[in-house]
Amino acid sequence: MPIYLPIAEMSVDAFLLLGIGLGVGWLSGLFGVGGGFLLTPLLILIGIPAPVAVASGANQTLGASVSGLIAQWRRGNVDARMGMVLLVAGLAGSAAGTQFFVLLRRLGQVDLAVSLFYVVVLGTVGMLMVRESLRAILRRRRALPARTHQHSWLHGLPLKMRFRKSRLYISIIPPALVGFGIGILSAIMGVGGGFMLVPAMIYLLGMPTTTTIGTSLFQVTFVSANVTLLQALQTGSVDIVLTLLLLTGGVAGAQFGAAMGTKLRGEETRALLGLLVLSVAAGLLVNLLQTPDSLYVIGPAT
Amino acid sequence: MLPRLLVRAGLLLALFLPPGAMAQPAPAPQAGPALAAELGQPRIAVDTAFTGADLLVFGATDRLLGPDGDNVIVLGLGPTRDVTVRRRVKRLGIWVNGPAARFREVPDYYALASTAPVAGLLDEPARRERRLGLDMLTARLPGPRDPAFREALIRLKQDTHQWVEEENMVGVSGGRLFHARLPLPSTVTPGDYVVQVMLVRDHRIIARQELSFGVDRVGATARIADVSRHEPLLYGLACVLLAALAGWLGSVIFRRG
Repeated sequence: MPIYLPIAEMSVDAFLLLGIGLGVGWLSGLFGVGGGFLLTPLLILIGIPAPVAVASGANQTLGASVSGLIAQWRRGNVDARMGMVLLVAGLAGSAAGTQFFVLLRRLGQVDLAVSLFYVVVLGTVGMLMVRESLRAILRRRRALPARTHQHSWLHGLPLKMRFRKSRLYISIIPPALVGFGIGILSAIMGVGGGFMLVPAMIYLLGMPTTTTIGTSLFQVTFVSANVTLLQALQTGSVDIVLTLLLLTGGVAGAQFGAAMGTKLRGEETRALLGLLVLSVAAGLLVNLLQTPDSLYVIGPAT
Repeated sequence: MLPRLLVRAGLLLALFLPPGAMAQPAPAPQAGPALAAELGQPRIAVDTAFTGADLLVFGATDRLLGPDGDNVIVLGLGPTRDVTVRRRVKRLGIWVNGPAARFREVPDYYALASTAPVAGLLDEPARRERRLGLDMLTARLPGPRDPAFREALIRLKQDTHQWVEEENMVGVSGGRLFHARLPLPSTVTPGDYVVQVMLVRDHRIIARQELSFGVDRVGATARIADVSRHEPLLYGLACVLLAALAGWLGSVIFRRG
Protein backbone atom coordinates (compact mmCIF):
# COMPACT_ATOMS: atom_id res chain seq x y z
CA MET A 1 0.00 0.00 0.00
CA PRO A 2 1.87 3.10 -1.17
CA ILE A 3 1.68 6.25 0.92
CA TYR A 4 3.00 9.72 0.09
CA LEU A 5 5.30 11.24 2.70
CA PRO A 6 4.69 15.01 2.87
CA ILE A 7 8.15 16.11 4.02
CA ALA A 8 10.26 13.49 2.26
CA GLU A 9 8.21 14.29 -0.88
CA MET A 10 8.08 10.72 -2.10
CA SER A 11 5.86 7.65 -2.09
CA VAL A 12 6.84 4.58 -0.04
CA ASP A 13 5.13 1.28 0.72
CA ALA A 14 3.41 1.65 4.11
CA PHE A 15 3.85 -2.05 4.97
CA LEU A 16 7.59 -1.82 4.41
CA LEU A 17 7.75 1.02 6.94
CA LEU A 18 5.56 -0.90 9.41
CA GLY A 19 7.87 -3.90 9.09
CA ILE A 20 11.02 -1.84 9.61
CA GLY A 21 9.36 -0.24 12.65
CA LEU A 22 8.45 -3.63 14.08
CA GLY A 23 11.95 -5.05 13.69
CA VAL A 24 13.76 -2.02 15.07
CA GLY A 25 11.20 -1.64 17.90
CA TRP A 26 11.71 -5.26 18.92
CA LEU A 27 15.48 -4.76 19.17
CA SER A 28 14.95 -1.50 21.01
CA GLY A 29 12.81 -3.17 23.66
CA LEU A 30 15.14 -6.15 23.93
CA PHE A 31 18.37 -4.20 24.37
CA GLY A 32 17.11 -0.93 25.77
CA VAL A 33 18.50 1.09 22.91
CA GLY A 34 16.53 3.51 20.73
CA GLY A 35 17.49 1.66 17.59
CA GLY A 36 18.46 4.85 15.76
CA PHE A 37 21.80 3.37 14.71
CA LEU A 38 19.88 0.70 12.76
CA LEU A 39 16.90 2.76 11.67
CA THR A 40 18.69 5.69 10.06
CA PRO A 41 20.89 3.56 7.73
CA LEU A 42 17.84 1.40 6.86
CA LEU A 43 15.73 4.42 5.90
CA ILE A 44 18.53 5.80 3.73
CA LEU A 45 18.83 2.36 2.13
CA ILE A 46 15.16 2.39 1.01
CA GLY A 47 15.66 5.82 -0.58
CA ILE A 48 14.53 8.32 2.07
CA PRO A 49 16.66 11.49 1.78
CA ALA A 50 19.37 11.46 4.48
CA PRO A 51 18.27 14.60 6.39
CA VAL A 52 14.69 13.29 6.61
CA ALA A 53 15.94 9.85 7.67
CA VAL A 54 18.07 11.34 10.46
CA ALA A 55 15.38 13.72 11.75
CA SER A 56 12.47 11.27 11.53
CA GLY A 57 14.67 8.54 12.96
CA ALA A 58 15.21 10.69 16.06
CA ASN A 59 11.45 11.27 16.30
CA GLN A 60 10.75 7.53 15.99
CA THR A 61 13.41 6.79 18.59
CA LEU A 62 11.53 9.11 20.95
CA GLY A 63 8.27 7.19 20.60
CA ALA A 64 9.92 3.78 20.85
CA SER A 65 11.89 4.84 23.92
CA VAL A 66 8.77 6.18 25.67
CA SER A 67 7.16 2.81 25.10
CA GLY A 68 10.21 0.96 26.40
CA LEU A 69 10.70 3.44 29.23
CA ILE A 70 7.17 2.85 30.56
CA ALA A 71 7.71 -0.91 30.42
CA GLN A 72 11.01 -0.59 32.33
CA TRP A 73 9.60 1.93 34.78
CA ARG A 74 6.90 -0.55 35.81
CA ARG A 75 9.60 -3.08 36.55
CA GLY A 76 11.39 -0.49 38.69
CA ASN A 77 14.47 -0.48 36.48
CA VAL A 78 14.91 3.28 36.02
CA ASP A 79 17.44 5.23 38.07
CA ALA A 80 15.87 8.66 37.58
CA ARG A 81 18.60 10.49 39.48
CA MET A 82 21.35 9.02 37.34
CA GLY A 83 19.16 9.68 34.30
CA MET A 84 18.88 13.38 35.15
CA VAL A 85 22.65 13.78 35.53
CA LEU A 86 23.23 12.05 32.18
CA LEU A 87 20.46 14.04 30.54
CA VAL A 88 21.60 17.52 31.56
CA ALA A 89 25.13 16.74 30.37
CA GLY A 90 23.72 15.08 27.24
CA LEU A 91 21.73 18.14 26.23
CA ALA A 92 24.84 20.31 26.60
CA GLY A 93 26.82 17.78 24.55
CA SER A 94 24.29 17.64 21.74
CA ALA A 95 24.29 21.43 21.50
CA ALA A 96 28.09 21.33 21.11
CA GLY A 97 27.81 18.45 18.62
CA THR A 98 25.39 20.42 16.46
CA GLN A 99 27.99 23.17 16.10
CA PHE A 100 30.57 20.59 15.02
CA PHE A 101 28.07 19.23 12.49
CA VAL A 102 27.64 22.70 10.98
CA LEU A 103 31.43 22.93 10.61
CA LEU A 104 31.58 19.53 8.87
CA ARG A 105 28.84 20.58 6.48
CA ARG A 106 30.81 23.67 5.56
CA LEU A 107 33.76 21.41 4.70
CA GLY A 108 31.49 19.29 2.46
CA GLN A 109 32.38 16.00 4.15
CA VAL A 110 29.31 15.27 6.24
CA ASP A 111 28.64 11.89 4.58
CA LEU A 112 32.18 10.69 5.11
CA ALA A 113 32.40 12.01 8.66
CA VAL A 114 29.10 10.37 9.62
CA SER A 115 30.14 7.05 8.09
CA LEU A 116 33.55 7.13 9.74
CA PHE A 117 32.02 8.01 13.09
CA TYR A 118 29.63 5.09 12.72
CA VAL A 119 32.38 2.64 11.81
CA VAL A 120 34.80 3.75 14.53
CA VAL A 121 32.27 4.19 17.34
CA LEU A 122 30.12 1.16 16.53
CA GLY A 123 33.18 -0.99 15.89
CA THR A 124 34.84 -0.04 19.18
CA VAL A 125 31.68 -0.29 21.27
CA GLY A 126 30.66 -3.57 19.67
CA MET A 127 34.06 -5.15 20.16
CA LEU A 128 34.25 -4.08 23.81
CA MET A 129 30.78 -5.40 24.49
CA VAL A 130 31.34 -8.76 22.85
CA ARG A 131 34.69 -9.24 24.59
CA GLU A 132 33.44 -8.27 28.03
CA SER A 133 30.21 -10.26 27.86
CA LEU A 134 32.00 -13.36 26.57
CA ARG A 135 34.38 -13.08 29.50
CA ALA A 136 31.46 -12.74 31.88
CA ILE A 137 29.77 -15.78 30.39
CA LEU A 138 33.00 -17.82 30.66
CA ARG A 139 33.51 -16.67 34.23
CA ARG A 140 30.01 -17.83 35.10
CA ARG A 141 30.62 -21.23 33.49
CA ARG A 142 33.77 -21.71 35.56
CA ALA A 143 31.79 -20.57 38.59
CA LEU A 144 34.41 -18.04 39.57
CA PRO A 145 33.29 -15.31 41.92
CA ALA A 146 32.69 -12.15 39.90
CA ARG A 147 34.28 -8.97 41.08
CA THR A 148 31.28 -6.90 42.07
CA HIS A 149 33.02 -3.71 43.02
CA GLN A 150 36.21 -2.16 41.79
CA HIS A 151 37.82 0.90 43.26
CA SER A 152 39.68 3.15 40.88
CA TRP A 153 40.72 6.78 40.62
CA LEU A 154 37.13 7.50 39.54
CA HIS A 155 36.04 7.00 43.11
CA GLY A 156 38.37 9.66 44.41
CA LEU A 157 36.62 12.50 42.58
CA PRO A 158 34.60 15.12 44.47
CA LEU A 159 30.86 15.93 44.18
CA LYS A 160 29.78 12.50 45.27
CA MET A 161 26.16 11.54 45.01
CA ARG A 162 24.22 8.50 46.10
CA PHE A 163 22.36 6.63 43.35
CA ARG A 164 20.13 4.28 45.33
CA LYS A 165 18.55 2.39 42.46
CA SER A 166 21.97 1.53 41.04
CA ARG A 167 23.51 0.95 44.46
CA LEU A 168 26.30 3.40 43.69
CA TYR A 169 27.95 6.20 45.62
CA ILE A 170 30.12 8.00 43.08
CA SER A 171 31.10 11.47 41.93
CA ILE A 172 28.75 13.03 39.36
CA ILE A 173 31.72 13.99 37.19
CA PRO A 174 32.11 10.62 35.37
CA PRO A 175 28.38 10.32 34.49
CA ALA A 176 28.32 13.96 33.39
CA LEU A 177 31.34 13.38 31.12
CA VAL A 178 29.72 10.24 29.70
CA GLY A 179 26.47 12.11 29.05
CA PHE A 180 28.29 15.02 27.41
CA GLY A 181 30.42 12.81 25.16
CA ILE A 182 27.44 10.78 24.04
CA GLY A 183 25.48 13.99 23.44
CA ILE A 184 28.19 15.12 20.99
CA LEU A 185 28.25 11.77 19.19
CA SER A 186 24.47 11.53 19.01
CA ALA A 187 24.19 14.94 17.37
CA ILE A 188 26.71 13.97 14.69
CA MET A 189 25.39 10.46 14.10
CA GLY A 190 21.72 11.39 14.38
CA VAL A 191 20.96 8.71 16.96
CA GLY A 192 19.75 8.70 20.56
CA GLY A 193 22.99 7.14 21.75
CA GLY A 194 21.55 4.26 23.79
CA PHE A 195 23.90 1.69 22.25
CA MET A 196 26.86 3.71 23.53
CA LEU A 197 25.22 4.64 26.80
CA VAL A 198 24.47 1.09 27.91
CA PRO A 199 28.10 -0.10 27.76
CA ALA A 200 29.39 3.21 29.14
CA MET A 201 27.15 2.85 32.19
CA ILE A 202 28.20 -0.75 32.72
CA TYR A 203 31.93 -0.47 32.16
CA LEU A 204 32.71 3.13 33.09
CA LEU A 205 30.21 3.77 35.87
CA GLY A 206 29.84 0.21 37.13
CA MET A 207 26.05 0.25 37.09
CA PRO A 208 24.16 -3.08 37.27
CA THR A 209 22.70 -4.25 33.92
CA THR A 210 19.15 -4.18 35.29
CA THR A 211 19.09 -0.43 35.81
CA THR A 212 21.23 0.45 32.79
CA ILE A 213 18.56 -0.36 30.22
CA GLY A 214 15.77 1.59 31.90
CA THR A 215 18.06 4.54 32.71
CA SER A 216 19.45 4.66 29.21
CA LEU A 217 15.89 4.72 27.83
CA PHE A 218 15.19 7.63 30.16
CA GLN A 219 18.10 9.61 28.77
CA VAL A 220 17.42 8.60 25.14
CA THR A 221 13.77 9.67 25.40
CA PHE A 222 14.64 13.22 26.34
CA VAL A 223 17.67 13.59 24.08
CA SER A 224 15.65 12.40 21.06
CA ALA A 225 12.83 14.81 21.97
CA ASN A 226 15.41 17.59 21.95
CA VAL A 227 16.87 16.44 18.61
CA THR A 228 13.37 16.24 17.08
CA LEU A 229 12.60 19.78 18.15
CA LEU A 230 15.95 21.14 16.94
CA GLN A 231 15.60 19.36 13.58
CA ALA A 232 12.05 20.68 13.10
CA LEU A 233 13.26 24.21 13.84
CA GLN A 234 16.53 24.19 11.91
CA THR A 235 16.13 21.85 8.94
CA GLY A 236 12.36 21.23 8.76
CA SER A 237 13.00 17.61 7.84
CA VAL A 238 10.95 15.72 10.44
CA ASP A 239 8.32 13.70 8.57
CA ILE A 240 5.51 12.95 11.02
CA VAL A 241 3.76 10.54 8.64
CA LEU A 242 6.95 8.52 8.31
CA THR A 243 7.48 8.64 12.08
CA LEU A 244 3.97 7.48 12.95
CA LEU A 245 4.11 4.59 10.49
CA LEU A 246 7.44 3.43 11.93
CA LEU A 247 6.06 3.82 15.44
CA THR A 248 2.92 1.82 14.74
CA GLY A 249 5.12 -1.19 14.09
CA GLY A 250 7.71 -0.04 16.61
CA VAL A 251 5.61 0.17 19.78
CA ALA A 252 4.33 -3.35 19.26
CA GLY A 253 7.85 -4.63 18.66
CA ALA A 254 9.24 -2.80 21.71
CA GLN A 255 6.78 -4.50 24.05
CA PHE A 256 7.61 -7.96 22.74
CA GLY A 257 11.29 -7.14 22.92
CA ALA A 258 11.07 -5.92 26.52
CA ALA A 259 9.16 -9.05 27.55
CA MET A 260 11.79 -11.24 25.90
CA GLY A 261 14.64 -9.20 27.39
CA THR A 262 13.64 -10.20 30.91
CA LYS A 263 14.14 -13.86 30.01
CA LEU A 264 17.69 -13.32 28.79
CA ARG A 265 20.65 -13.04 31.12
CA GLY A 266 22.45 -9.68 31.20
CA GLU A 267 25.65 -11.06 29.67
CA GLU A 268 23.82 -12.76 26.84
CA THR A 269 21.83 -9.62 26.05
CA ARG A 270 25.05 -7.64 25.95
CA ALA A 271 26.79 -10.19 23.75
CA LEU A 272 23.90 -10.14 21.26
CA LEU A 273 23.72 -6.35 21.23
CA GLY A 274 27.49 -6.25 20.74
CA LEU A 275 27.27 -8.59 17.76
CA LEU A 276 24.47 -6.50 16.24
CA VAL A 277 26.44 -3.28 16.68
CA LEU A 278 29.53 -4.94 15.18
CA SER A 279 27.63 -6.18 12.13
CA VAL A 280 26.24 -2.70 11.41
CA ALA A 281 29.77 -1.30 11.70
CA ALA A 282 31.08 -3.99 9.35
CA GLY A 283 28.35 -3.26 6.80
CA LEU A 284 29.17 0.44 6.82
CA LEU A 285 32.87 -0.28 6.55
CA VAL A 286 32.28 -2.43 3.46
CA ASN A 287 30.33 0.50 1.97
CA LEU A 288 33.28 2.80 2.51
CA LEU A 289 35.77 0.36 0.95
CA GLN A 290 33.66 -0.99 -1.91
CA THR A 291 33.68 0.72 -5.28
CA PRO A 292 30.33 2.57 -5.37
CA ASP A 293 27.74 1.88 -8.08
CA SER A 294 27.88 5.48 -9.16
CA LEU A 295 31.10 7.45 -8.93
CA TYR A 296 29.05 10.61 -8.68
CA VAL A 297 26.55 11.83 -6.12
CA ILE A 298 24.04 14.63 -6.45
CA GLY A 299 22.78 16.93 -3.76
CA PRO A 300 21.29 20.37 -3.25
CA ALA A 301 23.86 23.12 -3.61
CA THR A 302 25.20 24.30 -0.27
CA MET B 1 -12.51 15.51 -24.22
CA LEU B 2 -15.05 17.79 -25.87
CA PRO B 3 -12.63 19.97 -27.88
CA ARG B 4 -10.83 16.84 -28.91
CA LEU B 5 -14.04 15.29 -30.22
CA LEU B 6 -14.97 18.48 -32.05
CA VAL B 7 -11.57 18.64 -33.72
CA ARG B 8 -11.83 15.01 -34.65
CA ALA B 9 -15.32 15.56 -36.09
CA GLY B 10 -14.04 18.47 -38.17
CA LEU B 11 -11.13 16.40 -39.31
CA LEU B 12 -13.36 13.56 -40.42
CA LEU B 13 -15.57 16.01 -42.27
CA ALA B 14 -12.56 17.36 -44.17
CA LEU B 15 -11.37 13.87 -45.04
CA PHE B 16 -14.67 12.72 -46.41
CA LEU B 17 -15.48 15.75 -48.50
CA PRO B 18 -15.32 14.95 -52.20
CA PRO B 19 -12.05 16.08 -53.84
CA GLY B 20 -13.99 18.50 -56.04
CA ALA B 21 -15.29 20.33 -53.07
CA MET B 22 -11.75 20.84 -51.76
CA ALA B 23 -10.60 22.24 -55.08
CA GLN B 24 -13.32 24.84 -55.30
CA PRO B 25 -11.86 28.20 -54.34
CA ALA B 26 -15.18 29.83 -53.51
CA PRO B 27 -15.53 29.47 -49.66
CA ALA B 28 -12.33 30.85 -48.16
CA PRO B 29 -10.82 28.21 -45.82
CA GLN B 30 -11.10 29.16 -42.21
CA ALA B 31 -7.75 30.49 -41.06
CA GLY B 32 -7.41 28.51 -37.85
CA PRO B 33 -4.28 28.39 -35.76
CA ALA B 34 -1.50 26.14 -37.02
CA LEU B 35 -1.30 24.54 -33.59
CA ALA B 36 -3.77 24.15 -30.76
CA ALA B 37 -2.77 22.28 -27.62
CA GLU B 38 -4.28 21.67 -24.23
CA LEU B 39 -3.46 19.85 -21.00
CA GLY B 40 -5.59 17.05 -19.63
CA GLN B 41 -5.66 18.74 -16.23
CA PRO B 42 -4.49 22.15 -15.02
CA ARG B 43 -2.94 20.80 -11.86
CA ILE B 44 -1.61 17.60 -10.38
CA ALA B 45 -2.86 17.04 -6.84
CA VAL B 46 -0.38 15.43 -4.47
CA ASP B 47 -2.26 13.73 -1.64
CA THR B 48 -1.35 10.91 0.73
CA ALA B 49 -2.15 8.31 -1.94
CA PHE B 50 0.00 9.99 -4.64
CA THR B 51 2.31 7.56 -6.41
CA GLY B 52 3.18 9.65 -9.43
CA ALA B 53 0.99 10.67 -12.34
CA ASP B 54 0.86 11.01 -16.10
CA LEU B 55 0.10 14.42 -17.51
CA LEU B 56 -1.85 14.27 -20.77
CA VAL B 57 -0.93 16.83 -23.41
CA PHE B 58 -3.09 16.83 -26.51
CA GLY B 59 -3.97 19.04 -29.46
CA ALA B 60 -4.38 19.39 -33.17
CA THR B 61 -2.50 20.89 -36.08
CA ASP B 62 -3.72 22.42 -39.33
CA ARG B 63 -1.66 20.12 -41.54
CA LEU B 64 -0.94 16.42 -41.50
CA LEU B 65 1.58 15.10 -39.02
CA GLY B 66 3.96 12.33 -39.96
CA PRO B 67 7.31 11.47 -41.51
CA ASP B 68 6.55 13.50 -44.61
CA GLY B 69 4.64 16.26 -42.94
CA ASP B 70 4.83 18.31 -39.80
CA ASN B 71 6.15 17.18 -36.44
CA VAL B 72 5.25 18.03 -32.88
CA ILE B 73 7.64 18.38 -29.94
CA VAL B 74 6.39 18.47 -26.35
CA LEU B 75 8.70 19.71 -23.61
CA GLY B 76 7.81 19.68 -19.91
CA LEU B 77 9.91 21.69 -17.43
CA GLY B 78 9.73 21.87 -13.65
CA PRO B 79 10.90 24.48 -11.14
CA THR B 80 14.65 25.05 -11.02
CA ARG B 81 17.16 24.86 -8.20
CA ASP B 82 20.91 24.79 -7.76
CA VAL B 83 22.52 21.38 -7.36
CA THR B 84 25.99 20.09 -6.57
CA VAL B 85 27.45 17.00 -8.22
CA ARG B 86 30.37 15.42 -6.39
CA ARG B 87 32.82 12.85 -7.68
CA ARG B 88 33.84 10.09 -5.30
CA VAL B 89 37.53 9.41 -5.10
CA LYS B 90 39.52 6.80 -3.21
CA ARG B 91 41.78 8.21 -0.53
CA LEU B 92 43.71 5.94 1.87
CA GLY B 93 41.54 3.01 0.78
CA ILE B 94 38.15 4.59 1.44
CA TRP B 95 35.77 6.39 -0.89
CA VAL B 96 35.34 10.05 -0.07
CA ASN B 97 33.62 12.95 -1.80
CA GLY B 98 36.20 14.57 -4.01
CA PRO B 99 35.86 17.40 -6.52
CA ALA B 100 32.46 19.05 -6.69
CA ALA B 101 30.69 20.91 -9.46
CA ARG B 102 27.85 23.31 -8.88
CA PHE B 103 25.13 23.74 -11.48
CA ARG B 104 22.75 26.66 -11.27
CA GLU B 105 19.08 26.74 -12.25
CA VAL B 106 18.76 23.03 -12.90
CA PRO B 107 15.13 22.06 -13.67
CA ASP B 108 13.88 19.49 -11.18
CA TYR B 109 11.82 17.94 -13.91
CA TYR B 110 12.47 17.64 -17.63
CA ALA B 111 10.47 15.57 -20.11
CA LEU B 112 10.88 15.63 -23.86
CA ALA B 113 8.55 13.89 -26.28
CA SER B 114 8.16 14.21 -30.05
CA THR B 115 6.67 12.54 -33.09
CA ALA B 116 10.17 11.83 -34.49
CA PRO B 117 13.72 12.05 -33.07
CA VAL B 118 14.38 15.71 -32.35
CA ALA B 119 17.92 15.57 -33.73
CA GLY B 120 16.50 14.90 -37.20
CA LEU B 121 13.93 17.68 -36.97
CA LEU B 122 15.97 20.69 -35.97
CA ASP B 123 19.58 21.73 -36.35
CA GLU B 124 21.79 22.07 -33.31
CA PRO B 125 21.52 25.85 -32.71
CA ALA B 126 17.73 25.62 -32.71
CA ARG B 127 17.76 22.64 -30.37
CA ARG B 128 20.23 24.39 -28.12
CA GLU B 129 18.11 27.52 -27.97
CA ARG B 130 14.99 25.62 -26.98
CA ARG B 131 16.84 23.13 -24.72
CA LEU B 132 15.61 20.16 -26.75
CA GLY B 133 17.56 17.14 -25.52
CA LEU B 134 19.31 16.52 -22.23
CA ASP B 135 22.71 17.22 -23.78
CA MET B 136 21.42 20.60 -24.96
CA LEU B 137 19.85 21.33 -21.59
CA THR B 138 23.00 20.61 -19.62
CA ALA B 139 25.20 22.39 -22.16
CA ARG B 140 23.27 25.57 -21.43
CA LEU B 141 23.34 25.27 -17.64
CA PRO B 142 25.71 27.63 -15.90
CA GLY B 143 28.30 25.35 -14.34
CA PRO B 144 31.67 23.74 -14.84
CA ARG B 145 33.08 22.88 -18.26
CA ASP B 146 34.12 19.34 -17.40
CA PRO B 147 31.78 17.15 -19.49
CA ALA B 148 32.05 14.24 -17.02
CA PHE B 149 30.03 16.19 -14.44
CA ARG B 150 27.36 17.06 -17.02
CA GLU B 151 27.07 13.43 -18.07
CA ALA B 152 26.87 12.36 -14.42
CA LEU B 153 24.12 14.92 -13.80
CA ILE B 154 22.11 13.54 -16.72
CA ARG B 155 22.55 9.94 -15.60
CA LEU B 156 21.67 10.63 -11.96
CA LYS B 157 18.55 12.57 -12.91
CA GLN B 158 17.49 9.87 -15.36
CA ASP B 159 17.97 7.20 -12.69
CA THR B 160 15.38 8.91 -10.49
CA HIS B 161 13.02 9.36 -13.49
CA GLN B 162 13.03 13.10 -12.96
CA TRP B 163 14.49 13.66 -16.41
CA VAL B 164 13.00 11.68 -19.27
CA GLU B 165 13.95 11.89 -22.89
CA GLU B 166 12.01 9.21 -24.70
CA GLU B 167 11.59 10.31 -28.20
CA ASN B 168 8.62 9.11 -30.28
CA MET B 169 6.34 9.33 -27.30
CA VAL B 170 3.90 11.66 -29.06
CA GLY B 171 1.11 9.62 -30.60
CA VAL B 172 -0.78 10.75 -33.67
CA SER B 173 -4.32 9.80 -34.56
CA GLY B 174 -6.28 10.81 -37.60
CA GLY B 175 -3.27 12.58 -39.08
CA ARG B 176 -3.70 15.83 -37.19
CA LEU B 177 -4.50 14.96 -33.61
CA PHE B 178 -1.60 14.38 -31.30
CA HIS B 179 -1.33 13.31 -27.69
CA ALA B 180 1.51 12.67 -25.27
CA ARG B 181 1.78 11.57 -21.67
CA LEU B 182 4.49 13.14 -19.54
CA PRO B 183 5.31 10.78 -16.64
CA LEU B 184 5.66 12.54 -13.27
CA PRO B 185 7.39 10.33 -10.66
CA SER B 186 6.25 10.25 -7.04
CA THR B 187 9.32 12.30 -6.10
CA VAL B 188 8.13 15.21 -8.27
CA THR B 189 8.69 18.58 -6.59
CA PRO B 190 5.60 20.66 -5.92
CA GLY B 191 5.67 23.96 -7.82
CA ASP B 192 4.91 25.64 -11.12
CA TYR B 193 5.54 23.68 -14.29
CA VAL B 194 5.35 24.61 -17.97
CA VAL B 195 4.71 22.53 -21.05
CA GLN B 196 5.93 23.88 -24.37
CA VAL B 197 4.33 22.46 -27.47
CA MET B 198 6.18 23.18 -30.72
CA LEU B 199 5.15 22.57 -34.32
CA VAL B 200 8.06 21.86 -36.66
CA ARG B 201 7.83 22.27 -40.40
CA ASP B 202 10.81 22.13 -42.77
CA HIS B 203 13.31 22.08 -39.90
CA ARG B 204 11.87 25.22 -38.36
CA ILE B 205 9.60 25.84 -35.41
CA ILE B 206 6.64 27.60 -36.96
CA ALA B 207 4.28 27.65 -34.01
CA ARG B 208 4.72 27.39 -30.30
CA GLN B 209 2.34 27.23 -27.41
CA GLU B 210 3.16 27.44 -23.74
CA LEU B 211 0.86 25.84 -21.20
CA SER B 212 1.36 25.93 -17.46
CA PHE B 213 0.30 23.60 -14.72
CA GLY B 214 0.94 23.26 -11.03
CA VAL B 215 1.94 20.34 -8.89
CA ASP B 216 0.24 21.09 -5.58
CA ARG B 217 -0.03 19.31 -2.29
CA VAL B 218 -3.64 18.89 -1.16
CA GLY B 219 -5.42 17.66 1.95
CA ALA B 220 -3.45 16.36 4.91
CA THR B 221 -0.21 16.37 2.91
CA ALA B 222 -0.58 20.10 2.22
CA ARG B 223 -1.47 20.92 5.84
CA ILE B 224 1.47 18.98 7.26
CA ALA B 225 3.93 20.58 4.84
CA ASP B 226 2.47 24.05 5.54
CA VAL B 227 2.64 23.77 9.32
CA SER B 228 6.17 22.35 9.10
CA ARG B 229 7.28 25.33 7.01
CA HIS B 230 5.42 28.21 8.65
CA GLU B 231 5.15 27.05 12.28
CA PRO B 232 8.27 24.92 12.83
CA LEU B 233 8.14 25.22 16.64
CA LEU B 234 4.50 24.16 16.77
CA TYR B 235 5.22 21.35 14.32
CA GLY B 236 8.23 20.14 16.29
CA LEU B 237 6.26 20.12 19.55
CA ALA B 238 3.43 18.26 17.81
CA CYS B 239 5.90 15.65 16.52
CA VAL B 240 7.34 15.17 20.02
CA LEU B 241 3.88 14.85 21.59
CA LEU B 242 2.48 12.57 18.89
CA ALA B 243 5.47 10.24 19.06
CA ALA B 244 5.32 10.13 22.86
CA LEU B 245 1.58 9.50 22.72
CA ALA B 246 2.06 6.67 20.22
CA GLY B 247 4.68 5.11 22.51
CA TRP B 248 2.43 5.45 25.56
CA LEU B 249 -0.56 4.01 23.67
CA GLY B 250 1.55 1.05 22.64
CA SER B 251 2.56 0.28 26.20
CA VAL B 252 -1.11 0.53 27.32
CA ILE B 253 -2.42 -1.69 24.53
CA PHE B 254 0.27 -4.32 24.98
CA ARG B 255 0.30 -4.23 28.77
CA ARG B 256 -1.01 -7.73 29.12
CA GLY B 257 0.49 -8.97 25.88
